[in-house]
Amino acid sequence: MTSLERAWRGARNDWRLHLLSVFSVAVAFVCLAASLVVVFNVYGIRQRWQCTGRVSVYLAPKATEEQVRGIESALRQSSSVAEVRRVSSEQAQRELAGDSPDPIVTALPVEAFPASLEVSLSESSGHGIDKLAAQLGALPAVESVETYQSWVERLARVVQGGVTASAILALVIFGSVVSVVSSTIRLALHRRQVEVDVLKLVGATDDYVRRPFVVEGAVQGALGAAVGTVFLALLFSIIRSRCDAAFGALMGCAPVFLPWWIAVGLVIAGAALGAAAAFISLSKSLGS
Amino acid sequence: MQAGENSPAFRPVLRPGRRFDALAGRRPILVFEHVHKAYRADNPVLRGLNLEVARGEFLFVTGPSGAGKSTLLRMLYAAESVDSGKILFLGREVGRLTRESIPYLRRNIGVVFQDVKLVPNWSVLENVALPLEVLGVAQRTVRQRVGQALERVGLGGRGSERAGVLSGGEQQRVAIARAIVGEPAMLLADEPTGNLDPQLAVDILGLFEDIHETGVTVLFATHDRSLMEVRPRRVVVLDDGKALDVPHGLDEAAPVLNGRTQIAQRVA
Repeated sequence: MTSLERAWRGARNDWRLHLLSVFSVAVAFVCLAASLVVVFNVYGIRQRWQCTGRVSVYLAPKATEEQVRGIESALRQSSSVAEVRRVSSEQAQRELAGDSPDPIVTALPVEAFPASLEVSLSESSGHGIDKLAAQLGALPAVESVETYQSWVERLARVVQGGVTASAILALVIFGSVVSVVSSTIRLALHRRQVEVDVLKLVGATDDYVRRPFVVEGAVQGALGAAVGTVFLALLFSIIRSRCDAAFGALMGCAPVFLPWWIAVGLVIAGAALGAAAAFISLSKSLGS
Repeated sequence: MQAGENSPAFRPVLRPGRRFDALAGRRPILVFEHVHKAYRADNPVLRGLNLEVARGEFLFVTGPSGAGKSTLLRMLYAAESVDSGKILFLGREVGRLTRESIPYLRRNIGVVFQDVKLVPNWSVLENVALPLEVLGVAQRTVRQRVGQALERVGLGGRGSERAGVLSGGEQQRVAIARAIVGEPAMLLADEPTGNLDPQLAVDILGLFEDIHETGVTVLFATHDRSLMEVRPRRVVVLDDGKALDVPHGLDEAAPVLNGRTQIAQRVA
């Protein structure tokens, strides 16, 4: 009888115990996968904002029509610029007042809203935004240039924080998985003590005794991770079907689930953790 | 009886990675030299026990409860350590075996217990096949040898039955089949008839004798005097932590057992 067959027989006899363990591991992996989904999406938004940049070129009040046309023309000829839109002071006030019914905004004089050129950069512009902003800022007709890089930097900090939080969460979850699986395996070992005693009596090596339990631990970890990830995917698809438009409007892109390689990585991590937990707990138990 | 001394099947392997120890056949199978064992310092179980067992012998080990019969057997298959002294199995000192070597020692020793130690929810076949599976024997050979072992203990054709539903006597037969299926050099029986009625006990003893006829050394621990009277064999009486050797059955040792005043022979 191979280790797999022995593991299958053991799991079949103690299926309730194993089911409980798989469920506990699944709950832990739902938390981990959820945090990864959040981090992955925030990272995606940051990447998108960073790559498809937008620049507001605020014109000086004394800028002449000729200077503004010159800047506009030069921008349109640049390969990194996708679109240029000229916004007058009146237009800026209307746009802001349209979005905000605040009477204070509508009462402000039109001079409070500087005219601007709204520049949309192409996706290939990459890290050339800073250079372009510096060149535009040096022109006498330009008062200031807003590249919105501070938002990207803030998002980068959010992503960094999310990664750190996920790493800590992963450690906690890995610890809980090890604890759950090793407790389950110890209990399974206790329930199959006669089998283990007989195996050792007839000359089985520790490795031979340990192998089916390690297989059981690995399967528990892998199944728990798989169930947790699939459950989260279902939950995600339900939420997305209801809130996709709202997310799109808010973030500028639709939320996505974890890529397949991360999902597979979670299952592999679950299996490895389960096997390691079983191995460690059995090393103590078989040694005694 | 020194049966099976030249048996080609005698191929003891005592260390990992070795095929078998060729010198082993020329040594006494078992030697105890000044073996001490105590679970409590003030109450030693064995005090300088000396004993030598030749290959192919049948030996009763007897003595009152707590005399150390089970301890003696457990030390043989390295389930207990020796406090001092030596136990040599085929010339190798059991106490000095590494943790990795102990399974190889146990593959040469079959053990039968009073409480049978079968896995109750497994079939008879699965229980008996275990020693062969540990050895990595091919499935077809396993089935064949398990069938033969079950025939020898009178349970031919019962392989598919669940071990837990068999009677006490049948379970003990399954345990014996499991102990002999790997063709061990030595068979240890720790009160195997303790839970059986007298007739069944004699039947089980008969089984051990049949196995012994094939050349297997048998150490049969029992406190059942009637069994030793039925079959006069060499008896080792554990008394006061030492072995009193009675080579030809209990009748010869009656004075020893009654009053402890005479010692038939103290094994050097």
